[in-house]
Amino acid sequence: MANTLIELQNIKKIFQVGGGFLGSGSKDLIAVNNISFKIEEGQTYGLVGESGCGKTTTAKMILMLENPTEGTIIFNDQDVFEASKTDPEYKKIYKSSVQAVFQDPWASLNPRMRVRDIIGEPLEINTDMTKKQIRSRVDELLVEVGLQAYQSNLYPHEFSGGQRQRLGVARALSLNPRLIILDEPVSALDVSIRAQIMNLLVDLQKEYNLSYLLIAHHLATVRYMCDKMGVMYLGNLMEEANATDLFDDPLHNYTRALMSAALPSHPDIVRDDEIILEGDVPSPLNPPPGCVFQPRCLNQSKCTCSKTPPSLKEMKPNHMVADCKCCRTYAGSKLKKA
Amino acid sequence: MVNKQSKKQTSKKKAIEEIVLSVKDLQTHFYTKWGLVKAVDGLSFDLKKEETLAVVGESGSGKSVTALSIMQLIPSPPGFIVGGEINLESENLLNKSDKEMQSVRGSRIAMVLQDPMTALNPVFNIADQVGETLSIHKKLKGSQLYNSIIDMLEKVNIPAAEERMKDYPHQLSGGMRQRVVGAIGVSCSPTILIADEPTTSLDATIQAQYLRLLKDLQNEFGMAILFITHDFGIVAKMCDRVAVMYAGRIVEIGEVREIFNNPKHPYTQGLIKSVPSMDEDIDRLYSIPGQPPALWDVPDGCRFSPRKESPCCDVCINEKYEMVEIKPGHLVDGCKCCRGTCKSSKK
Repeated sequence: MANTLIELQNIKKIFQVGGGFLGSGSKDLIAVNNISFKIEEGQTYGLVGESGCGKTTTAKMILMLENPTEGTIIFNDQDVFEASKTDPEYKKIYKSSVQAVFQDPWASLNPRMRVRDIIGEPLEINTDMTKKQIRSRVDELLVEVGLQAYQSNLYPHEFSGGQRQRLGVARALSLNPRLIILDEPVSALDVSIRAQIMNLLVDLQKEYNLSYLLIAHHLATVRYMCDKMGVMYLGNLMEEANATDLFDDPLHNYTRALMSAALPSHPDIVRDDEIILEGDVPSPLNPPPGCVFQPRCLNQSKCTCSKTPPSLKEMKPNHMVADCKCCRTYAGSKLKKA
Repeated sequence: MVNKQSKKQTSKKKAIEEIVLSVKDLQTHFYTKWGLVKAVDGLSFDLKKEETLAVVGESGSGKSVTALSIMQLIPSPPGFIVGGEINLESENLLNKSDKEMQSVRGSRIAMVLQDPMTALNPVFNIADQVGETLSIHKKLKGSQLYNSIIDMLEKVNIPAAEERMKDYPHQLSGGMRQRVVGAIGVSCSPTILIADEPTTSLDATIQAQYLRLLKDLQNEFGMAILFITHDFGIVAKMCDRVAVMYAGRIVEIGEVREIFNNPKHPYTQGLIKSVPSMDEDIDRLYSIPGQPPALWDVPDGCRFSPRKESPCCDVCINEKYEMVEIKPGHLVDGCKCCRGTCKSSKK
């Protein structure tokens, strides 16, 4: 059993939006509502959900780019936000061990910097390596991600999309991090390049025993890369389990709908219980009371959880589901038929 | 939840295989500062009545230029259609004047674009925008126009259409906006609907809604859909035939099931293998080495050779080639080595 690298405990993030002078009349937007999960060493945790469900806000809090309104983040048995308050050095150490790779390789690399400076910048700031050492480390990293050392003199525009994403990975690796946040790392890439980058990430993970937090909306990518995964909807974690278990036997109706909406990889794959949800995701400014999924649930007429929000409950070993009866029953009966 | 079974043969299997659009040896070239870009270079395909033909390919493979060439919306200069024919029900569109094309666009061939926020005009309400095509092509006015706008919006499942029609695009959600674009597209019941990645900007559950809607509209209006996408999932889900494009040419075309089960071109084979599946665990994903060629620097002979694990032989690599029909309806492009018929490559 691997050790827990990072643990989120009851994280909540509320943004104040709108309002006039001094924030009078502003509204609370609950971006992330009371979520908890752990990432083990050397493993990949996947977060899936539609846009606006709070995946990226969660990632930003782990990267310390946002402060959670409530809750704690424990990294290597230490409360991250407590420790960084008392010890300013800790923040620096933490930030260099948690890195990120972003979705758009066109926007995440500075077009005016040479590759050498882009990848070397974190080293320059966080370590006391000499220029010569940095240069050789950059060359090493480029080879590591499948590029060539001479390319360190080029500018980002001289690379293709896939190569740029490799540069992003090299930059994230430069400080020997323990955790890398992958925010939709392949969705901006072409189909034939996606597999290359996914394989690169998997190889690097094995080599350096890295942990990943993968944020994605493409479910097949998550199944290929993740050990454990969570499904988010409107700031809430609806279901969490090992990736294989969750794909083979989803328990929550939202997870089922999400999987049913995913496109098949072969025309012969026909889903018996095709669920097409009606309507849109409600605005997080005005979330429905109780179970947030209730207005779109297929079973809403019988819903009894519309007043109190359901909490996560372990329905099967290591398989947590939002404890809302109606959001499971409908799907359950449907499953038997299939 | 998932059942691997052969899908029921679509019962309305067309008895009449009428061809509504026939593209023959289309060549669209761009004269740029990097040199001559052959964005589409010798493209031929037929679109049958009421079928859905998918055009799949990576960015820069010429999918969108194909669509724009059919609509004759290629920015010119730098782009020119330098050769070929585009026959819409046996009329060559390339011989039509600008004015004549205007009566084709929107009424006989309509288009749904990727990003609804840029496709819709932010300063007009949606009733104006749906009504525009109806008043131009069908010459509707007054209450007749008003009623058909409501009718169209209801057809694309916009709730409370009569109230929502006064809304501006920014008041609608992404999925709703794309529905409005769809309503504009089908408003004059076109023969052909060109859908250029219409669901790329939508979320998964909204995408499922939209694909279902397109299918319903197709059945109702009897349109042929030319579906441009990069996602093999959409091909598997809702298309009848598929054309795979690479560097400005179709490398393989055929029935969807035939292409998935029996891909012949190494590019198609690689693409299908490199897509992870949601239904099973995969140890290692196949990936096609290298990257697509820059379009101003396409190899003269076999275009795909640089990306093969073992390159094509010296004879084949420089040879000119054409599409070959290997089975009825299944055509493969590429040199003999790529098709696996070269003697020297056989071991």
